[in-house]
Formats: sequence, C-alpha cells, structure tokens
Amino acid sequence: MAGAAPVLEDGSVLSRLDRGLLRLERGFALIAGLAVLSLMFLAVRSVGGRLLLNAPLSGYVDWIMQLMPLIAILAVSFAQRDGTHIRMDLLVAHLGGRALWLFELISVLLILFLMVFLLWGSWAHFLRSFDLAAPLWSRDSTIDIGLPIWPAKLLVPVAIFVLCLRLCIQAWGYGRALVLGLANPVAVPLVQDAAAQAAAEAETLGEKG
Amino acid sequence: TEWNVSVWGKRRAFTEHIEKLAELVSEKTGGEFTMNISYGGLSKNTENLDGISIGAFEMAQFCAGYHPDKNRAITVLELPFLGVRDLEEEVAVSNAVYAHPAVEREMAQWNARMLMTSPMPQYNLVGTGEPRDELAEFDGMRVRATGGLGEAFRAVGGVPTSVTASEAYQAMESGVVDTVSFAQHAHLSFGTINRATWWTANLNPGTVNCPVVVNIDAYDALSDAHRQALDESVPEAVAFYLENYGKLLQRWDEVLAEKNVQKVTIPDEELAKFREVGGQPIHDEWIAEMSAQGMPAQELYDLVQQTLEQHRASN
Amino acid sequence: MEPIEIGLWVSGGMLVLVVLGMRVAFAAALAGLVGLFIIFWSKRGFDPEQLGWAITVAAKTAGQVPHSKVASHELSLIPTFILIGYLAYYAGLTRALFEAAKRWIAWLPGGLAVSTIFATAGFAAVSGASVATAAVFARIGIPEMLKIGYNKQFAAGVVAAGGTLASLIPPSAILVIYAIIVEQDVGKLLLAGFVPGAFSAVIYALLIVGIAVVFKSVGPPVSGFTWRERFASLPAAMPILLVVVIIIFFVYNPFGEKAWGTPTEGGALGAFIIFLMALGRGMRWAELKSALIETAKLTVMIFTIIWGVLIYVRFLGFAQLPDAFADWITSLHFSPWAILVCILLAYAVLGMFMDAIGMLLLTLPVVYPAVMALNGGEFVSAEDSAFGMNGTMCAIWFGILVVKMAEFCLITPPIGLNCFVVAGVREDLSVQDVFKGVTPFFIADAVTIGLLVAFPAIVLWLPSLAS
Ligand code: NA
Ligand code: NA
Repeated sequence: MAGAAPVLEDGSVLSRLDRGLLRLERGFALIAGLAVLSLMFLAVRSVGGRLLLNAPLSGYVDWIMQLMPLIAILAVSFAQRDGTHIRMDLLVAHLGGRALWLFELISVLLILFLMVFLLWGSWAHFLRSFDLAAPLWSRDSTIDIGLPIWPAKLLVPVAIFVLCLRLCIQAWGYGRALVLGLANPVAVPLVQDAAAQAAAEAETLGEKG
Repeated sequence: TEWNVSVWGKRRAFTEHIEKLAELVSEKTGGEFTMNISYGGLSKNTENLDGISIGAFEMAQFCAGYHPDKNRAITVLELPFLGVRDLEEEVAVSNAVYAHPAVEREMAQWNARMLMTSPMPQYNLVGTGEPRDELAEFDGMRVRATGGLGEAFRAVGGVPTSVTASEAYQAMESGVVDTVSFAQHAHLSFGTINRATWWTANLNPGTVNCPVVVNIDAYDALSDAHRQALDESVPEAVAFYLENYGKLLQRWDEVLAEKNVQKVTIPDEELAKFREVGGQPIHDEWIAEMSAQGMPAQELYDLVQQTLEQHRASN
Repeated sequence: MEPIEIGLWVSGGMLVLVVLGMRVAFAAALAGLVGLFIIFWSKRGFDPEQLGWAITVAAKTAGQVPHSKVASHELSLIPTFILIGYLAYYAGLTRALFEAAKRWIAWLPGGLAVSTIFATAGFAAVSGASVATAAVFARIGIPEMLKIGYNKQFAAGVVAAGGTLASLIPPSAILVIYAIIVEQDVGKLLLAGFVPGAFSAVIYALLIVGIAVVFKSVGPPVSGFTWRERFASLPAAMPILLVVVIIIFFVYNPFGEKAWGTPTEGGALGAFIIFLMALGRGMRWAELKSALIETAKLTVMIFTIIWGVLIYVRFLGFAQLPDAFADWITSLHFSPWAILVCILLAYAVLGMFMDAIGMLLLTLPVVYPAVMALNGGEFVSAEDSAFGMNGTMCAIWFGILVVKMAEFCLITPPIGLNCFVVAGVREDLSVQDVFKGVTPFFIADAVTIGLLVAFPAIVLWLPSLAS
C-alpha cells in the first residue's frame, strides 16, 4: 500500500535542504507514532479503571479526539517526501526523461496550489477556535470535559505548512531535472515500476516474523 | 432565493420545526424563497456555527453543550434543575435568553442571529438492572451525561462517562454505562430504550439547548417580503414542533409499556436532596465562573427565573 | 449551471487527474476545493465582484475538513489496527501460526497451500491490512511450498489470495472506513466480517484441495506430525486466539448478558497484549521506533486519503449529487437485484485500476444512498424491502459485499497490489507469474461473492444475534 520510493542524496544545497526538512518530518512521524501508542495506553487505563476501580477515565473520548489530528495529519509531509501517498502510476510509469519530470512538476505544483488554500482555510479554522481574551484562549471546547480545541486545530496548518516547504523542494527538484535533463535527480521520489516498488516495501518489513 | 440549511442525523421530531419552516416560507413566497435542508451533508454537527460564520450555508441548528466555549452565554439554559417543567416553558426561557444583548453579541461573533429554539424535554435517565430511585443508589452509577447534567450527577457520587450519542446504545449494551440521559425522542432514535429496564419519570435534571440560527448577512440580504415571511413563520413552526413532540410524548407511555420498561418515580424528599447538592451549588459556581469572564451571568440567570415566573403567572 | 451539473463536471475532472497520476488524496481534495468554489460563485450568479467571496468561502469550508473529519473517536481504530499488525510481526506470531497450521492440516491434498490459507486467515485476525499480510506470508509460506515441489506460480497465487482475507476478518481498517462513511455501527460491521472471512478461507481451501486432487503438479500432502508435535505448536499461536476472543467479547459477548466494552477499547487492548508479547520476545526501542514510524506513515497515508476525499464529498453535499443519483437509480425500470449486480460488476472493473480505500471513499457517498433507496430506504422493514432485509441489515450486507469486492481488486490485473507485493518479495517471481498463479482464485472469489449475494444470511447471521 505504501508506495515509498528511493530519494537520492548528494552534497548540493537542494539535497541538504531536503535532508534538513527530513529530520523535522521524521520527528513529526515519531510523535505521531507515539500518539498511536498512547491511544493504546488510554484504552487500557479506561477499561482497567472502569472494571477494576469503577473510575473510568474522565473525558476518554475527548482525549482521543485531541490525539487524532496528531496521528492523522502531522506526518503528511513525511509521507510526501518519498512518495508514500498512493496514486495510479499506470501512465507515469511509462514516461521517461523530460516528459516524466514535466508531469511530476505539474502534479507537485497543483498540490502546492491546493495546499496554499488549505493552509489559509485551516488557519482560519484554528483562529475561529482561538481567542486571546478568553480563559485558556479557548473559543471552542470538547463536549465532555471542555478541553480547548485550538491546539489540535493548530496542528493542521502547521503540518500543511511543512508540506508546502516539502512541495517547494520537490518542485525545485523536478524543475531542475526538467531544465537540465537529468536522469537521476536528487531530493525527489523516483518513479519505480510497480514490482521494484513492492520489493522496496517488503524490504521494510525486515527479516523477522 | 435558495437557502442551504445544515442539520444532522436523520429527520426526527427534533428537526420538524425546520422542515415546517421551509414549507411555510416557500408557501408564503409562492416558491420564491426555498430552503434546502441537508442532514449532515454540509457540515459536522459541532461545526455548524463555523459554517454560519464562514457563510457556507445560511441557516443551521446546533446544541450549546457540544461546545460550551463557543456559546458561553446560552449555557445558562443547560444548568441542572432550572425548574423548567414543560416544552412551553422551555420555549419561553429560551426566547428570553436569546433576546439578551450578551447572547446577541456572542452570536454576532459567529455572524449568527438566533431564529428559534428546538425545545427539548428534561433529560431523564434510562437504565439497566435494578431501578435506582434513591439518591444513595446514584453513588458509583456510570451515567452518560454531558455538561451541567454530568456535574449534577457527579455531585451525588455518579460517574459521568464520555460516550457519543451514537455510541450510547453500544455503551449501555456493553456495560460501559449503567444509565443514559437523553430526551425521549433520542432514547427512541438512538435505541437506548431497547436496552432499558427502567426510566425516571420525574427526575427532571435539566436539558440541552439547541437553537436554530441564520447567517446575519444572508438575513439582511433578504427582500422585505421574504424576511417578513421568514419571521412570521417562526411562531407557526415552533407551534407545529410542540404539537408534534406532544404526540411523541403521549406515545411515550405506550412505548414504555410495550418495551416493558418500569416507570420509576423518585420520592419528593429524595429529589429535594438532589437539587440541594446538584442544583444551587452548580448554579452558583456557573455564575461565579462566567462573571469572572466578563459575562453578565447573574443577569442571565435572573432572566431565566423571572421568565419562568411570568410565564406561569400569565397561564 | 445547476449544482448537479457542476458536480458531474468536477467529478469527471477529478478522475482525469487521478488517471494522470496525481496522488489520489490530493486530486480529490483539489476537485473538492475547485468544486466548492464554483458552487459558491454560481450562487452569486458568477458575479465578478463576488469572486473573492467565493474563493474565501471555498477555502475556509475545505480547510475545516482535515481537522473536523479526523478528530473522530471511531477512526482511532485504524491506527490501532495498523499498529497491531506491525507489533504482531515483531512478536513472531506469524511464523508460529504457519507452523501450527502446517502441523495440523498439511495432511490434506494440497496441504501446505491449505495451511497457508488458514494461517493467513489467522493472521488476519490481528492484522488490519491485506498488503502487509501478503508480504509477510510471501516470506514464510512460499519457500516451504517450493521446497516440496509446488508449482512456483501457484504458490505465489495462494499467498496473494490468502492475504486478502485480512480486510474481511476483523480487525479491518477498510471495514471501519466503510462504517464511518455510511454511519453504521462499527462493532456490528466488524462482527459481520467474521463469517464471510472464514467462509472465503474455506472456499479457497476447497478450491486448492480440488486442484490438488485433479492436477498432480500441486505439491504432495505433508504428513507424519505426531499429536505431541501438533499440540506443542499451539502455545506460540495462542495469543492470536486471545486477541480474537477479546475483540469478540468487546463487540458482542456470545455467552453472557453484557459485552465488555466498545470496539475501540477492544482493538486497543488487543494491541496492548501483542505489545507486551513483542516486548517479551525481545523487541527493543530501535524496533519499536521503526514500528511506530512505519505505523505513522501508513496511517497518515490512509488518513490523507480520508480527509482529501471528504473535501470532495463535502462538495458533493453542496452539489446534492448523492440525492440525485439515488433518485435516478430508484427510477430505473430494472429489478433491484439486477441493479445490485451491475453495481458490483462496476466495482470489479473500477477495482482493476484503483486501490481499495480510495475506491470506497470515492464511490460510497453516491452509491450507498442509492443502494439503500433501492432496498426501500433506511427505515424499511424486512417484509417491505427489495432485498428482504431491513435498512440496518442492508447496510451491513452491502458493506461486506463491497469490502469483498475491494479485496478482489487486490488480486486482479493490471493493478493488483497484493500480487505486486508477492512478486516484490520473491526475486524469482515476476508480477505476471503471480497474476497467473492467482487466476484460479478469481473463481473462488466469484463463487464467494455469488453466495454472499444469494444467501445474505451468511453475512447477517452473526450481527443479527447481537441485536
Ligand atoms: Na483483519
Ligand atoms: Na486490481
């Protein structure tokens, strides 16, 4: 499912930017993973508390709803970096050279166009829930224990902003490949044929099992 | 003019005034002003105010308890044990509070204007197992109740538990909660009545307040004739709602009998004890907290009480 | 332009973007954003002065969706299910299962292949993702089958097909997604997946036994395990059973009055047990970290599709397309059964080219209301309905059918993700080999789907017990 593809690296500015951003993205992914793990502990605490102590975790649903944006959105740029977001590559897999880079460039620019608007919209969504004059700066709260929602809403524009940076790097990478007619450009996920892609994916599962 | 109206769930007693309003407005304007009512297609229920604020749709319904911080002023109507006896009284106090400048100001932040209320009866409990008709039996009871109601049950040793309305049935079935507090129509539509062995007929702990609002710009942009048609139709629509809900409440006793659910009446002295710990202290706390935030809380609270008195005096 | 026309044009545009290779999530979101803009602008008569207003409202409406749709209690099942799969792998559960299946049932004709099918079915009970299941068993099952002389292509086909079981047998990310889109009880749907999943496995097994009896090219049975050896293989495979039991008891307690909790809690507790096992088997921080990052990556990929497509679905809501499609379907003068079969065939064709989750998210908002309307509406009773079941049951039944179709599309050419994965793991196998090997299983799947359509009781028996 995860169609990750290799990203080449060298000593160029572009590649250094790529790796710099990757460090941030990997950090975000780890936070997201830890948030998944905490879902598990929350449930154990909730069920255990209910069955053993008659003290269910107060606001269990509220806490989960606060965690979900962390899990579901924060790593969006990490997945864009190596092309994990799925697509139909029936057509692109048959392209090569400049035609391919042109295609990829247009696609990345379209995503960037989309993301600029979503950045605006999600920021506005955050602002509507945020009020410097209110207690806890909150103008929107969860149903059960009244947690302020703005921190969770703020995560979305943050994640999208990082994705915009990533898209700029990729646009640069593809643009450079297009202009210079490169065969193996850095800082962008390379198109593999489906089989090679699957092999790479199976590789990530390691040898255990 | 065509307005988009955002509500949620399915068509039910709780949305009948909106359906009626659409019908009346279209009739009065000869089909010139229509409303397209969408059940969940335009927004998530907790974000209807956001949608109004954006201008994505012109009219919407929401409940104060879903997001108290979005609508602090009207949470006064969700305080436990306010003493509201029936739907007519609920309409009266809602209308009075909605007309208060503090509420208008707060709604204006969302570019919203109050149109009408969706009065709901008291959120009595359905429960599994042995009926609980004494206060002492509420100790350790896991109850699905939100906001001020949850606080009231906590005050007598209950354990308010978070489950969404759509999960309430599952939660009851699985013992996550022992009891669920809902209005009658919700006990029916979420199926909690099917798991219940008893229902509290007179606990009357409080209810949830769910206004219908319109986008201010859209309202102002209406032609005079259309605006008049809309305004005039509101009382009729609410009257229709009350009549329709009244029928549902009449049927309620039959439903209880049919499902073999015991009707529990709690003795007056027990109720008085509950009100003592779950009522006034929580009211005082609300007033103190909201006043600290610059809200005319005492004024709003007194307004509710006065309106109740006036309403009873005039009947 | 009428909203419905806008809806059709924008949907067409989205399909073009998808075919041209734009990431599905973003193509859908872009279509949604542009569609919302056109809808809002059309409301103001395409007045140039209102252009800015329309753009603002479209951006703000679309910008709500990522947070709004993702902050959901029910959806939290998906990351949990994905984590369980990765942890089960580190806990060594996969090999233990295969070993047990081999010792108990490999004496059948085509025994090792049958064992592989049942081991994948067992693993499916902890794994929520089909592709991961296929990848794991390509490593474990295929070498053993080749060792005793199985046809290479056939062995690969067995694993590719067996892997699909993971999305029918709970936990299943896809079933959760279906439940959310159509707003049905997640627990009941997960429960409904058990029997059809097991049923699919049995049909696969029967097919293998049949092939093994007719063609001697399929490998010989493997016998000679003593009862002592058989029982010795069980303890290591037991934890799977424990997880299955927990999930069942958290959804529906077959023996007592009350279940133990909600499906969300059951899923998370299952993950916790596997987590403890993985720790016991020597998983350390480095491995946990890579499991967490992998989980995060797969999760964000799925959720990006979810919110991306839901921006498009929000636009559909404003365009009133689902209602229009439902009206159109119910106005057709064909029997409801014929229309249902056509819908399933359309899924088979679409499934050849699309991935499962994207396909469901894109089509269900339009197709589901149509199918429900076809049956007679949400509140129809079994007697008055077209398919002989009430609204809730119809939602469950159709869900299982659709998920089975989505599974089918994982093994059909040209885009059959499971086959790609199997070929990717085994260097000696080409994708064509796997597609050849998996062909017999099309028949099994067609039979399964036919039986599920003809005998809805297979699907509905268990969930109807729970209500
Ligand atoms: Na599964
Ligand atoms: Na396919």
